[in-house]
Amino acid sequence: MIKFILRRLFLTLPTFVALMFVTFIAIRLVPGDPVEVRTGEHGISPERLAYFRHELGLDQPVWKQFLDYVWNLLHGDFGVSLSSNVKVLTEFLTLFPATLELAFAGMLFAVVLGVPAGVIAAVKRGSWFDHTLMGAAVAGFSMPIFWWGLLLIMLVSEGWGLTPVSGRIDMIKYYFEAPTGFMLIDSLLSGQKGAFLSAVHHLVLPMIVLGTVPLAVIARMTRSSMLEVLSEDYVRTARAKGLSEFRVITLHALRNALIPVVTVIGLQVGGLLAGAVLTETIFSWPGVGKWLIDSIGRRDYPILQGGILLISFLVILINLFIDVLYGAINPRIRHGA
Amino acid sequence: MINKTLKHAAGLGLAVLMLGATAVSAKTLVYCSEGSPESFTPAMNGTGTSFDANRPVFDKLTAFERGGTNVGPGLATSWDVTDGGKTLTFHLRKGVKFHSGVNGFKPTRDFNADDVLFSFNRQWKDTHPYFKVSGGKYDYFNDMDMPALLDTIEKTDDYTVVMKLKEPNMPILANLAMDFASIHSAEYADMLLKAGKPEQFDQIPVGTGPFSFVAYQKDAMIRFKKNPDYFGEKALVDDLVFAITPDPTARLSKLKAGECHFAIAPRPADLEEIKKDKALSLISQSGLNVSYWAFNTEKPPFDKKEVRQAFNMAIDHDALIKEVFLGSGSSAKNLIPPTLWSYNDKVPAYSFDPEKAKAMLKAAGVTTPLEIDLWYLPVQRPYNPNGKRMAEMMQADLAKIGVNAKLVTYEWGEYRKRMQKGEHMTGQLGWTGDNGDPDNFFFLRGCAAAKGGLNVTKWCNKEYDDRLNKAKSLSDIKERTKLYEEMQVIEQQEAPDMKIAHSIVFEAMRAEVKGYKQSPFGSHEFQGVDVK
Repeated sequence: MIKFILRRLFLTLPTFVALMFVTFIAIRLVPGDPVEVRTGEHGISPERLAYFRHELGLDQPVWKQFLDYVWNLLHGDFGVSLSSNVKVLTEFLTLFPATLELAFAGMLFAVVLGVPAGVIAAVKRGSWFDHTLMGAAVAGFSMPIFWWGLLLIMLVSEGWGLTPVSGRIDMIKYYFEAPTGFMLIDSLLSGQKGAFLSAVHHLVLPMIVLGTVPLAVIARMTRSSMLEVLSEDYVRTARAKGLSEFRVITLHALRNALIPVVTVIGLQVGGLLAGAVLTETIFSWPGVGKWLIDSIGRRDYPILQGGILLISFLVILINLFIDVLYGAINPRIRHGA
Repeated sequence: MINKTLKHAAGLGLAVLMLGATAVSAKTLVYCSEGSPESFTPAMNGTGTSFDANRPVFDKLTAFERGGTNVGPGLATSWDVTDGGKTLTFHLRKGVKFHSGVNGFKPTRDFNADDVLFSFNRQWKDTHPYFKVSGGKYDYFNDMDMPALLDTIEKTDDYTVVMKLKEPNMPILANLAMDFASIHSAEYADMLLKAGKPEQFDQIPVGTGPFSFVAYQKDAMIRFKKNPDYFGEKALVDDLVFAITPDPTARLSKLKAGECHFAIAPRPADLEEIKKDKALSLISQSGLNVSYWAFNTEKPPFDKKEVRQAFNMAIDHDALIKEVFLGSGSSAKNLIPPTLWSYNDKVPAYSFDPEKAKAMLKAAGVTTPLEIDLWYLPVQRPYNPNGKRMAEMMQADLAKIGVNAKLVTYEWGEYRKRMQKGEHMTGQLGWTGDNGDPDNFFFLRGCAAAKGGLNVTKWCNKEYDDRLNKAKSLSDIKERTKLYEEMQVIEQQEAPDMKIAHSIVFEAMRAEVKGYKQSPFGSHEFQGVDVK
């Protein structure tokens, strides 16, 4: 198993180098440099421009800048944000818990609803439930997140007043320190009455919005995978042995049907982070997605380079974890690979 | 980590929890702002969003009256102008306390001249221990030409600061009321320097302002509490919270739901809805900006006054305002907006008259079809939401008088640079005022700016320029006003540009918000504002 993990880790190295290179070059191809882009009609004098370009190392040849960047990276230095002058890693670690909390909630929502829905649809194939679910799944999959988020805000928050519009906690009623950055945990730690409920309340809509696309994908995948498994010989055997239908489905069919579903969940993680960019913007959720988008406008090279690298690292790590999980569920993969 | 530093900032632990617990009964004003500040040192910032987030904490030597551009006393109670306008002696306010308890800082003395020297020298002297801290970008100090204006700043005693200028310049009093000139605590700076954490100076602010800093969570919120010792107009709420809400639709929803009391920059499309909602109120006024279409007077045929006047008559102004600004702009006839002192309302506006324009071109000896280039803004600016659309409409109008305009644009930095060099024949640009002094607009048509670049019309008129320079040296507002009014008449006749519009800035708030005054600068201030 360890050999398997090491091999997979080794295979991700070229991906990193490529990513590093692409983000480094891509942001420099965008017209406008970080010093000039923040100046308004005043412009900036050539002397000051030269001074700042020198201070930021932008007057060096690009290859030198790249080597410096890699060298610093190897020393764990992701650089300092050009706009806030705070270390990239510090900003990332401040904001990432919010994204993680949201992504985790979204995925939980998708899995908890998607898997059972897919199973029921497969078992009751051709029923009204099946048709409704599959119709809804197509709708969910093709829905633009931005539109869906705003629609829910207008309907659920504004229209019915059931959930707050945005943010992570009721700022008028509650204020406490955020030692972990996870609002659900911090609100519990604060000991303030009602704070946790307020945090949950604020999480509901963003979770649904972010979880909708993975929910649709997971439900569809579970259904088709279940359908395939249900027609297998071993399922018929299990039934012939006289096991209850519930046991046949949950123990014999579902466990096998989950293998492709787990893969899909892994693949959804990347999509989930992309979706988080939009969800964070709509719901004023202070996560890393919004942070990266803003830094493009500001040509904040260190944030873009560091942020993308850190997020890619996490996505790769999660996929590695899924691969390992996959191997654990299905030993043929582990040994065959 | 920021979280860790903020922990200190908030006084950590029990004190914070107690504050949180009491916040339930305290009066809180929530402002839905649009983004995170760059830092908490105004001198290092460049955006209105950042200044708004810094302003509750700080004061300056002079101050703009709330809701206006008039300059009055701030941390200086009075000042003497001597030596023909070259020496300014500021008498500082006594008994002013810096915020106590922020980031573990307990001031041992009141505000004095050392704090003034610290705040300016940090931006000015590259030998200052704080000069390079946090990147050392002091854009406004340089943009406002402070290094060129200032000769020396010295203290004669703890409560007197003498500023010597290289030449008389009265608009500097307005510069000193700008955010970049905020006064920081030198004692706090020393404390952090000794602790080896100078960068915290720009992240956890200590000032003398109406609110003191409590906590900041990037992209989420900024929290302030009332400064009970404030010397000026006091805060009427106990807590001020900036709920950072980048999406304008979400801001409106939050406002409607009562999750915030005040929201920045509503979308033009939402204005009608806000007006109709009885729980909300909407206020508006002209922004401190102008958009114009500059004619390069060094390039024929725009060296002729009559041609420039004809072009002023060729464009349907009202259509531009309607189609491009969608209700968030007002037609401009002067370089300064009507909210600024010395605005001359008697100056006539050019009327849309293509036939007359055609005849004037002919009389000026211009043969049609005439080929010109029309540069349009590549980016959205506060004074022009859509340069391309505007250019297309202008192109269509010009075609009617026999002028073929070729549309040209570049990346923003490049665009600005090339225009300043005078490569264009005609082009869109504009200006956002900095200090509320008319000079800050009128210098744009001065001869020095024509040489330096910012006057992209390259127009240099002696009558105008003499008045511009004279006005700068006068401390009497009436005399200055007279000169500026005359300059607006000269400019209208000479027409080095076509004035397009001033933006209209809207602010949306809940009906229970009382006492808010809209600032001509587009800034947001919450002392004296209550939630009933």
